[in-house]
Amino acid sequence: MEEIVRAEGLRKTFTLSKKQQRIERTGETRRIAVDGLSFSAYRGEIYGLLGPNGAGKTTTLRMLATLIRPDSGDAVLMGHSIVKEPDRVRDIIGFMTSELKLEGFFTPDYLFDFFGMMHGMDKDKLAARKRDLFARFGIDKYAEVPVKSLSTGMLQKVSLVISIVHDPEIIIFDEPTNGLDVLTAKVVTDFLVELKGMGKSILLSTHIFSLVEKLCDRVGVIIDGKLVQEGTLVEVSKGDLETSFFELYHRIKGEIV
Amino acid sequence: MKLLALIKKEFHRFFHDPRLIVTMLLPGIVIFLLYSALGEIIYTEESRDLKVYLSGESNVVAMIEGMIEQNGDKVEWLPLESEETARAAILDGEATAILTFTENFDSFGENASVGIVYDNGSTDGSYFYSLVSSVLIGVGMRFPIRVQTVREDTEVARNFMQSALPFIVICFIFAAGMSVTLESVAGEKERGTLATILVTSAKRRDIALGKIVPLSCISMLGATSSFLGIALSIPKLMGMSFGVFGGYSGWSYLLLFAAILSVVPLIVSVISTVSTLSRSVKEASAYTSGLMILVMVISLVSSFVPSMGNWVFLIPVLNAVVAMQGVLAGGLLVWQTLAAVGINLVCTAGLVFLMTKLLSSERIMFGK
Repeated sequence: MEEIVRAEGLRKTFTLSKKQQRIERTGETRRIAVDGLSFSAYRGEIYGLLGPNGAGKTTTLRMLATLIRPDSGDAVLMGHSIVKEPDRVRDIIGFMTSELKLEGFFTPDYLFDFFGMMHGMDKDKLAARKRDLFARFGIDKYAEVPVKSLSTGMLQKVSLVISIVHDPEIIIFDEPTNGLDVLTAKVVTDFLVELKGMGKSILLSTHIFSLVEKLCDRVGVIIDGKLVQEGTLVEVSKGDLETSFFELYHRIKGEIV
Repeated sequence: MKLLALIKKEFHRFFHDPRLIVTMLLPGIVIFLLYSALGEIIYTEESRDLKVYLSGESNVVAMIEGMIEQNGDKVEWLPLESEETARAAILDGEATAILTFTENFDSFGENASVGIVYDNGSTDGSYFYSLVSSVLIGVGMRFPIRVQTVREDTEVARNFMQSALPFIVICFIFAAGMSVTLESVAGEKERGTLATILVTSAKRRDIALGKIVPLSCISMLGATSSFLGIALSIPKLMGMSFGVFGGYSGWSYLLLFAAILSVVPLIVSVISTVSTLSRSVKEASAYTSGLMILVMVISLVSSFVPSMGNWVFLIPVLNAVVAMQGVLAGGLLVWQTLAAVGINLVCTAGLVFLMTKLLSSERIMFGK
């Protein structure tokens, strides 16, 4: 299998403000978000990072998307280092997270073209891709409606197609179904499967066991910023992913809540 | 191509939003209507009959008379026999002013000068003084003008108004820059839409320029609207014809334009950089309001301190204010204006570089 993503010793710490220290009643000034994370993802697979809130999943994906730099360690995506070549990495990934928003004033049609140009796409290819994706997600009827007037579900679909406007080889999704109604969630998960079928590599983070069981080929379990287990879905779940996860969590943390 | 797309996006955002256009152009229109209406109220007389004591000869007299007649007014020239008597007549409202030219004034000899004595408490006196000033600017001002008023001096206020015009221009530029830049930079950062652009492969420098270039153009438009509003209404407010603008040469206008043009991107860059540093529009607004006060104070300094030396041209913004004041006073400060333009552009480039660095900083862009 062709290795598409290789993360080696990714580490990220954040400074805790006085206010955060007071709230959390701690004297520590730095918090380790990701602690020496290493994993690999391969072409045509869906790799899931599973862990509770605050485990470091989003921070890991943000580092891979080059929005933030690791304190140490590196990740190579299709031969490009996130530390040394962040601009090149941004052209081969599609990153979607609730943190990234679309300007409500513009229409899906305008934004699709704008972000296509931001990725250096030529007009003909952009027009063809817009036709395909807008038809595939039923956006064509709302192409000229300002984004602020779209329903949450339609907005999510627009965000999805814009994140992959440049047909990236690697798609990074942070909590892909969070806040979506069941219909839109199904559209998104079906599309991820379709993308996988097209040979794309998908990295996603989630805390939803059913989503991992439905989509992921391989799973990395993150607790307290460390990768504590990695393997195929069968290897990690051992028949029941939820039970296996809580056993692992109890072994490491010595508690459930 | 990416930079072009970023610039187009900002223009699209502005020119497709009628509310933004209205809020940008409205101040100029309101100022023009308000000041013009005020001028109409002040100068309701059908025509003026001016009586001016004249001493000495000059072709300028014919020019002044021509301008007065062009405005639909009349002037009667009276021979000046005793300045004391003439001053008393002015104070009694029987005459408008005293105008004196030195001998051989038109040859602009070494001792050539003009003297004006007028009633600063009457609209006719102020009107005549403004009119004479504009004609004298037109002929080059290569001579001293001795101005005296017959009442307690309101001259300070008048001079302040004249020297304050560049200050007003700077304020309008800052206000126009704030109205579009805060929303476009701090607003986009706060709403998370700037982060969406940061995920693309567009260079941070292009993103910074993609904001500063179009926002400068838009701010220039807003500032021009406000400036035209005030500039076109001032003659009406002061009871003059629009001919007052003919007193300046094309070069003067070019220098004024260059000075203004260099300040706009500088101010927009400052606001953009502060907006990038801020977490929200509210925070950016608070910081830039403080900056605006600072710029206003710096600009006002030049109005109170008449000659500060050439070192002021090294100070961004202030250099443009002083250059504009010099040009409006009838001088052609070519090198000083060019130095001001150069320094302001270098500072703008420095701020673009700083904004690029800030856009690359995760602590600034994604820090909580």
